[in-house]
Amino acid sequence: MSQQLKRHCDCRNYASVDVVKGICHRTKDLILGDDQHCQHFVPLAKCRNCSHYSASGEEFLGSCNAEPAKPWTYPDLIAVTCKMYHAQAA
Amino acid sequence: MGKKLTEILEESGLPMNFEVGGHSPAETVAREIQKEPCHRAGKLRELYYNTLSSATSEFPYWYTRFYRQLDGELPVMRRALALKEAFAHLTPTIYPGELLVMGRAHYYRGSYPMPWLSEGYYMAKESELNKAAMATGGASADELSHYGAGGGNVTESFGHVVSLAGKFGMRQEEVPATLRIAHEWVNKSVDDACRKYERMIPEYPVKEAIMRNVICQFDSGYTLPQGREVMNYFYPLQDGFDGIVSICEKRKAEVAGQAGGDGLIGMDRLYNYEAIKLVVEGVQAWITNYVKEARRLEALEEDAAQKKEYGQIAERLEWIAHNPPRTFREAIQLCWTTHLAVLNEDVASGLSPGRMGQVLFPYYEQDAEAGRINDDEVLEWLELQRVKFTCIDCFGSAGVVGGVLSGNTFNNVAVGGLTKDGQSAANQLEMLILEAGTRCVSTQPTLTVLYDEKLPEDFLLKAIECNKTGTGYPAWMNNRVGMDFMMRQYGREGMNLDEARAWAIGGCLESSPGSWFELELNGRKYNIPGGTGQPTSVGVHFLGLPKILELVLFDGVDQRTGDRIFPAHGKKLETYEELWGQFQDYFHLACYSLATANNIQHDIWRKQNMSIFTSMCKANWIESGRLIHQLGYKYNATFSVESCGTVSLVNALIALKSLVFDNREVTLNEMRDAIRHNFGFKTAEQVGSYSLADQEKLDDSGTYDRIHFLALSAPKFGNDDPYADEIMRQWEEYFYTMCSDLESLYGQPFYPCQISVSSHAPLGAATVATPDGRLAGTTFSDGSMSAYPGTDRNGPYALFNSATVWDHSRSQNSQMNMKVHPSAVQGSRGARKLLDLTRSYMRKGGFHIQYNVVDSKVLREAQQNQDKFRDLVVRVAGFTQYWCEIGKPIQDEVVARTEYEGM
Repeated sequence: MSQQLKRHCDCRNYASVDVVKGICHRTKDLILGDDQHCQHFVPLAKCRNCSHYSASGEEFLGSCNAEPAKPWTYPDLIAVTCKMYHAQAA
Repeated sequence: MGKKLTEILEESGLPMNFEVGGHSPAETVAREIQKEPCHRAGKLRELYYNTLSSATSEFPYWYTRFYRQLDGELPVMRRALALKEAFAHLTPTIYPGELLVMGRAHYYRGSYPMPWLSEGYYMAKESELNKAAMATGGASADELSHYGAGGGNVTESFGHVVSLAGKFGMRQEEVPATLRIAHEWVNKSVDDACRKYERMIPEYPVKEAIMRNVICQFDSGYTLPQGREVMNYFYPLQDGFDGIVSICEKRKAEVAGQAGGDGLIGMDRLYNYEAIKLVVEGVQAWITNYVKEARRLEALEEDAAQKKEYGQIAERLEWIAHNPPRTFREAIQLCWTTHLAVLNEDVASGLSPGRMGQVLFPYYEQDAEAGRINDDEVLEWLELQRVKFTCIDCFGSAGVVGGVLSGNTFNNVAVGGLTKDGQSAANQLEMLILEAGTRCVSTQPTLTVLYDEKLPEDFLLKAIECNKTGTGYPAWMNNRVGMDFMMRQYGREGMNLDEARAWAIGGCLESSPGSWFELELNGRKYNIPGGTGQPTSVGVHFLGLPKILELVLFDGVDQRTGDRIFPAHGKKLETYEELWGQFQDYFHLACYSLATANNIQHDIWRKQNMSIFTSMCKANWIESGRLIHQLGYKYNATFSVESCGTVSLVNALIALKSLVFDNREVTLNEMRDAIRHNFGFKTAEQVGSYSLADQEKLDDSGTYDRIHFLALSAPKFGNDDPYADEIMRQWEEYFYTMCSDLESLYGQPFYPCQISVSSHAPLGAATVATPDGRLAGTTFSDGSMSAYPGTDRNGPYALFNSATVWDHSRSQNSQMNMKVHPSAVQGSRGARKLLDLTRSYMRKGGFHIQYNVVDSKVLREAQQNQDKFRDLVVRVAGFTQYWCEIGKPIQDEVVARTEYEGM
């Protein structure tokens, strides 16, 4: 995951409240999702962090190679419940 | 600036009477009863206040991805498998301090579109949404945190957030995926299929003209196909989800390959049981994902108390994912989870818990006896439940969610009523539900008292105390009138007196049928009520009655748009009877064209988008193997014609009868001319207020002053005037008879539904001036029995006499909203007066009454400074809503309502 994408809303400790903010499970603070991550950062499983994901030419869209049909997906889809998720090597 | 109508009337000696029974004190009077929620609920409610309505594509993505892979499957199986995977892939979110957990989506106030119902909005808005999504987020985070006007409504795009339908925020990085999903449903959604087939109705051009000109608010088949119904939690409570799966397996083995004497759908039973099993397994996986999240947080947490609570959450969820609940805490969690599962299956507003205090009573009673819980702990859970219900959002278009619902979701909890054997059903848990509603003021769930003479006095006074908080709940519904309606409407489907006693309110005030179920808990048996009827408020969705009269007066042509709506009648309308007859002809044509089109919509819906999980909750599925689309519910005669602007119509008819036909003070052509010229006033839109009192003169010519004065002075409904009230009686008699002649797709007769919700604003905006002196674009009268603001001059008892000149049990409901100044109900004497007033209306046969206990000065101040009043709630028309989340037309209407200063 590139540094520039490391936001609070990309962190496993972030509980989304709404499209702008969330609560950090470590600090219990209400924080803005787009702000830079802190030292507690743990990557959240999202399609774009998965080894099966490949980006497409279109912004905010890609495909899932875990299935033979390679269905389309989107990079910010949270994948904590996806059984096919396989984290990319750091 | 032109003169205001109120000033003109003052000068003319005909002031509009917005205060009855005295004058309000000069200083602002606060509501007498003000309590605080428990710390935990207060904190979570505060979080809600600061939360934006947020939409995500997670559920639609997984649903669509799996649906796509299942081409060729049976429709019911395809839907079941897609639902199973969508549930299983929902991201679990648990917030610190929660005890009752789970939500519709991974946001606190989350929801999502269901493009398989309708994708038209996204297609129409595609380029606009794409543009907003691709724009660089220019606004800083600080700026975003100030965004709050209108409560949680995201009315405009900002930063990385795109506004959908003027209410929901979506992350810009999700918008292209949302549009891609919508594209996949083009020509496949319920909406698209409906449009193809409804065109085959001969009256389709009329229907289309009605919809295009906002004479009817919306189609129901692909907007809000479900809801306004009462939940039934019995099967999950009694059998648990593993038990339901086992029942499905057993029944599958019993019916596989057998028609069972039903050559049409007997074979479907196999697929239906399998479909239920699959969706339930999806729901179990969803709960299990929350278990994992709770365990993860338990491991992460350093605070001992919070750590323990995460562990307890995991234990409760782990148990209810498979088994029937053993305790009150497990039962309330299971009911909430079941409720959410139904909401996630389909778009629904008004999905009501029903008589939850009676459903949960067995668990409360046994836990209390065993010392497992005390009343303070129960109260905490009930308050937490209030916060959770308030977080529910219903995703839909601006016209539906904004124009009609005012963002409300109408989850109604009914208390009181009768038991199966005809005794008072009020219990101690219901007292606590009323107390939780008093302490933790919030919009959901709204509360309803099923008023019966058998209810104990302390229970009724407890409900009055809650009214005095100014929450607008509980509303008061007449239990006996409701039962009579049940027998009348559902008798042909087997409703008997015992079953009629199981009714409750689904939505704001939609009477819904129910049944009794024998629940066994630790060897003790209880009869608990549960909803067994189909969705209500389906069929014809809000028809603007004064607009139909406008079309009668102008030979079928809409005076706002110039469009022809109905074929020209070509009549001179020389008598009142001729005019009334023509009104009936046009009204019938409108209802018929809308009802047939909506029958097709709901038929497409049931074939493509049948509810599976919800069908499992309703009665008879185990025995019959049928789902909703195959008359699987016990009661199916739930389609209705929803009216809007009843009293505005009645007042307009009274004015015509009096001024034009009986007294001949004005000719019909003079009245038409005055209406065309809006009685010499600006339009409401020009003035920027939708209340009659605020309207301004266009100029000082005075051309229409005489006729406007006569129109305003004509007799009005609500004053115990037989001349006026006869018009109301005549309308109600006709309305009931006409509805009975319409047939729903389930082969059952329609009935009248007389609630306005918020539709009296947009439908009023679409209607020019009316013969009663109402001006163009102003809001219609609210409800159906409320007097038009400022026109009820003889006090509440006169209004009650007017409102009860017809039999309320012929209609699903009627609606009376009353605004009362806090000083009028001060102290125990005031409480007693309010109860006596309520009782008086019920004894006269009125069906419904609800109170806004508020000083109008507070509302005016809140209009000027919304940020200061984030937590102010008011009763609109069958629902309580945060003031700041209500559109201005409805705010204006609530401010203008007559305020009762004394009883």
